[in-house]
Amino acid sequence: MSAPAAISAASETGVVASQRRPKARRSSTGIVLRLILTRLLTSLIVLFVVTFVIFLFVHAAPGGPELALAGVDATPEQLAAIRAAYHLDDPLVLQYFRFISGALGGDLGASITMREPVITVVSRAATSVTLPLIVMAWMLSVIPGVTLGYLSARKRGSITDRVILTATILGATAPVFAVGMFVSYVFGIQLGWLPFLGAGDGGLDTLRHLVLPAVTIAVVLLASATRVSRVRFIQVIEEDQYTFARARGLSRSYLWTRVVLKNAAVHLITWSGSLVIGLIAGLIIVEQIYGLPGIGTLLIKAIGSRDIPLIQGITLLIAIGVVLINLVVDLLCIWVDPRIRKGMEVER
Amino acid sequence: MTAPATVAIPLRTEKKRRLPPITISIAFAVLAIALVMVFFPQIAPYDPNFIDATAILQGPSPAHLLGTDQLGRDVFSRVIAGAGTAVLAPLLLATGTIVVAVLLGLAAGYARGWVDGVLGRVIDVLYAIPALLVAIVVVGVTGGGFTMALGILLIFGLPSPFRLFRAAGMERVNLPYMEAARAIGLSHLRIIFTQLLPTLRPLLVSLLFLQFTYGLIEVSSLSFLGLGVPPGSADWGRMMFENRATLSSNVWATAAPGLALVLLAVSTNVIGDWMYNSHEMKEKHR
Repeated sequence: MSAPAAISAASETGVVASQRRPKARRSSTGIVLRLILTRLLTSLIVLFVVTFVIFLFVHAAPGGPELALAGVDATPEQLAAIRAAYHLDDPLVLQYFRFISGALGGDLGASITMREPVITVVSRAATSVTLPLIVMAWMLSVIPGVTLGYLSARKRGSITDRVILTATILGATAPVFAVGMFVSYVFGIQLGWLPFLGAGDGGLDTLRHLVLPAVTIAVVLLASATRVSRVRFIQVIEEDQYTFARARGLSRSYLWTRVVLKNAAVHLITWSGSLVIGLIAGLIIVEQIYGLPGIGTLLIKAIGSRDIPLIQGITLLIAIGVVLINLVVDLLCIWVDPRIRKGMEVER
Repeated sequence: MTAPATVAIPLRTEKKRRLPPITISIAFAVLAIALVMVFFPQIAPYDPNFIDATAILQGPSPAHLLGTDQLGRDVFSRVIAGAGTAVLAPLLLATGTIVVAVLLGLAAGYARGWVDGVLGRVIDVLYAIPALLVAIVVVGVTGGGFTMALGILLIFGLPSPFRLFRAAGMERVNLPYMEAARAIGLSHLRIIFTQLLPTLRPLLVSLLFLQFTYGLIEVSSLSFLGLGVPPGSADWGRMMFENRATLSSNVWATAAPGLALVLLAVSTNVIGDWMYNSHEMKEKHR
């Protein structure tokens, strides 16, 4: 950034701040409440759109679940009986209403192919595979990513910075499935260090089976986390407040924790939230590659057999997960950054 | 307050980070190779769909540079044939996304008011929905082909380019040249297309490359799950999906399309990033 540009940017923010001063007089609880209410409303709309779109397409699709269940040799009477048993001939609006009212009461119906309640099937897949996988990938990527971003931003243009930068471009761009095939081939087949198929027999064995899948996801996450934190750290370092704090002779640890990290926090939290959401499709792919019986595999199976309740249940639960993540992200941002509580614009 | 700031600025001006020219050259070279493969698939030594039952799962040899797959098809020829969908589908997707995003984004940024409000909320909702998830479920369930996959990815890919163009429109709408255009009585549409749009050219071009990268990854992810392209097509994602069972007998049947995919995606990403940065749009990114 050239010097005049920096000055004009600084004076601009000055103007903005003085214009906003009257606004800041509003009580911060009111602002926070309004923020949360708008978010909740958007979340409800998101849930409605996702469930409705999926519902419409699933029902408009040719070859309903009765074909998958009874096979091609079934008589028309048998097919009709199955359709009647699952209320597939009712008007769509009625079926949607039934699905939503059931979901509100915590009942997502029963899976047609597995003959078990959707909730049971999904929670089994989630607790045994998907959630541990997300947690492992998360631990392998976010804190190391921010650390790498710090190392990279601290000495811009150095060898360390360049190596990290090149690696992140590669890691963030390579599709998850290509990374997955590479990791499973090198560490699973060639080196034989860790298992690369199935989820094992529970407990520690399952954890061992989850290492390579978690590493696969972590490669992509780590690269993105490094990239995002590096860019944001550099932005903060270029702000006047950093120079001012440095000129006052504050220690390096104070500068990084209280000035840089705190200012970058909102941006990092927002980004880590959208990373998780972007990762959902990646999770499905990784579970497919490593043959893990998680939610992604369950969804693909359900799609293959046109198991309507299961498809709808899984998409609804994923959508709820996404909405919750967004909500947690917003609450964390409000908690971390006092500027949001004052209703000021914050660089996200 | 301003005095120390102005003094401090020269201290902080460092050499702008630029990707080394060699990286950019390599990226352009990869793109050129991909384009050659798209327009001259005849350079392939075999018909990509020719099944040779006598030469199943061979390793690399002079006859088959990258070996053969489980049906005896030449992997090298299939990789060349796969460049077609690998380049054209994301290109179509990126162009479509950008055209729609420009129209809506500029409308929102230029008009503000209720147009901005409505579009903004719709985009907020789209932003919170994972595009690939919807594409996987809808394409998987309906068995809809490529067109449907592209349509869904287009709609759900709108949020970030929309926000960029909206911000760009808002930024420029009160600049003197825009006021001048209004003062001489140009219609709003004419102002948008003759005054506003040309200034966005660098952003448009760099975004085309970046959106191409995302599109390539999304489309091939769908193919890898066996969705979108029909079975047996010479598509890089599809090839990896079909050949991964034979990973230990001929690794190149899976690795070659994967490598081609990564190289192309990284190249277009590097080119797009480089263009984006060199026009200093990065700071305005929100």
